[in-house]
Amino acid sequence: MSALLTTSVGSFPKPEYLLRARTKASKGELSEEGLRALEEKSTAEWIQFQEQIGIDIPVDGEQYRGDMATYFAENIDGTEISGLVRSYGNRYYKKPIIVDELRRKGPISVDWFRFAQARTRKPVKGMITGPYTMMDWSFDEFYGSRETACLAFAKLLHQEARDLESAGAKIVQVDEPALSTRFDELPLLVKAVGVVTKGLRAKTILHTCYGNYNEIFAYFNKLPVDQIDLEMSNSGLDLLERFRREPLRKEIAFGVVDVHSHVIEPESLIRERIEKALTIFDPDKLYIDPDCGLKTRSVEEAQAKLRNMVAATRAVRESHHLTVGKG
Amino acid sequence: MVGTTVVGSYPRIGERPEEQSLRRAIARLDKGEIDAAQLRTVEREVVKAVLREQNEAGIDAVTDGQISWYDSQSHIARKLTSIEIGGLVRYFDTNTYYRQPIVRGAVAWKEPILGDEWKFAQANSKAPVKAILTGPLTLASLADDKHYRSKKALALDLATALGEEVSSLVRGGAAQIQLDEPILTRHPEDLAIAIEGLERIRSRKGSARLAFFTYFGDVTPIYEDLLESPADTIGLDLVQGAATWDAIAKYGSEKPLVLGLIDARNTKKEVPGEVAKKVLELRDLVDLKTTDLSPSNGLEFLPRERAREKLGILSAAARQVGVAA
Ligand SMILES: [Zn+2]
Repeated sequence: MSALLTTSVGSFPKPEYLLRARTKASKGELSEEGLRALEEKSTAEWIQFQEQIGIDIPVDGEQYRGDMATYFAENIDGTEISGLVRSYGNRYYKKPIIVDELRRKGPISVDWFRFAQARTRKPVKGMITGPYTMMDWSFDEFYGSRETACLAFAKLLHQEARDLESAGAKIVQVDEPALSTRFDELPLLVKAVGVVTKGLRAKTILHTCYGNYNEIFAYFNKLPVDQIDLEMSNSGLDLLERFRREPLRKEIAFGVVDVHSHVIEPESLIRERIEKALTIFDPDKLYIDPDCGLKTRSVEEAQAKLRNMVAATRAVRESHHLTVGKG
Repeated sequence: MVGTTVVGSYPRIGERPEEQSLRRAIARLDKGEIDAAQLRTVEREVVKAVLREQNEAGIDAVTDGQISWYDSQSHIARKLTSIEIGGLVRYFDTNTYYRQPIVRGAVAWKEPILGDEWKFAQANSKAPVKAILTGPLTLASLADDKHYRSKKALALDLATALGEEVSSLVRGGAAQIQLDEPILTRHPEDLAIAIEGLERIRSRKGSARLAFFTYFGDVTPIYEDLLESPADTIGLDLVQGAATWDAIAKYGSEKPLVLGLIDARNTKKEVPGEVAKKVLELRDLVDLKTTDLSPSNGLEFLPRERAREKLGILSAAARQVGVAA
């Protein structure tokens, strides 16, 4: 039996040299191949780091992505990319615009999955930006219906999931940060994610964040995935009590470090959080990870948080005499 | 015939390098390369450009684009007593975030909030500039209330504070005040609180006109009560809140309406003639001479270029109503 496996949600910060290279590339001062070489370098470095600290289920770190929705949209026919819109403060991003019927040009994330998997014996997660989030974060000039657009994304993302599986992915994660945007659309989200995960042999995960979990709680058991991944350190520790009363019939990945704070949580605090989770969830169904992607932290902060997370998990395993088994 | 107005916010930056000045300036402020006064200068240049774009499109009543607002909540709340500004919280279903006001004690007005911004904008606009305030119910609903433990009590104290602000704005020359209560599209059951707040604010407005706006959804269940509310004009989102259209078609309105028919959350361009046709369906139900056309909500969710185009569509649609009617 494996217990308390450690993993990450998806993104890691880009090192300084990659940030500079991306700026250059956007001005046409660096070739696509030149940029790709540096993306490969930092991806390899992140895989190596995860190996070194002993993360059980590594991720590729999304060094090649700008925004999670536009990265997928750039590889889908029928989309354009908008001008900049504001997220908050001085942060802006570009959104996909659906201008025609959506069709996948070819595999989107499979190359990077292969690149990362070739560098570790541990199982790397395949990562898909979910259909509901793709729809909610896009402008739609074509379908004129949120449901139709969402299901069109779902259909082509299912092909992507299949391709990841064929490339050897044992785990496929569907990211749905927009999940709690409109509660009345939760049935649509369940339907669309179901289209993506239908018939997959790989273990499936749904990640979401910044939600009003109380409103969506009733849907957790309905989500057509094997595991849900929630931010618990930032907003969810109260949620534990609700899980005690209404048990989750799935695996859970439990976020134990806050990705929005510069503060490096000490090992002791993370241990407490894991211990609390263990009072409710079986150790073989409980995975330990950060709340969300770490991309907004500095490389040093992200690494320090991950180191403490792994050390704390190890300490809890030892004190409970739990074995790691094969990840 | 029908007039034109906007709801409030406008994109701060665009694709052209000269439209990125504010983003660059804030980055430089964060690095300590410029100070707050220098940032203010850049901000005001952007406000002028935003006013120019609205003036050129021929919009009848404009705003400063809320360019200096960090967000719709903290920009107002941070100037009131006993409020701290907390972390980021998602703002409705927009995929944008606001800094959440944390209420630590009794809330009151202490200093002018929008006066200088409004005066600067009006001095740089040919068209009248509306002063926009987030309504007390929305502020109360989106805040983290650690003091009152009662949405109503907090909202009413906020209303008193905002009344003071309205009085100060009107003394400074503002003739059009707009109060935004988007939360009513999510919690129509709170209308009574919103109206009690509105009454407090109305009593301080002097001869200024008071507009009451809702957006991000429909207000079908409270449409008739909204028309009875003590505001001079009612602004409605008829895109995301398309359901409200049926209520207008059924009950009409004696009170001037602002019809938010231009989609401010999607890049798809409306055909002005089709928008005009839709407005004309209401010709026997509302007085088109006192009706305004507007985007469905603030334009900041669109790229700058498209926001500009939507202003053009808005104007063209209003002109076509005039020709046809
Ligand atoms: Zn997340």
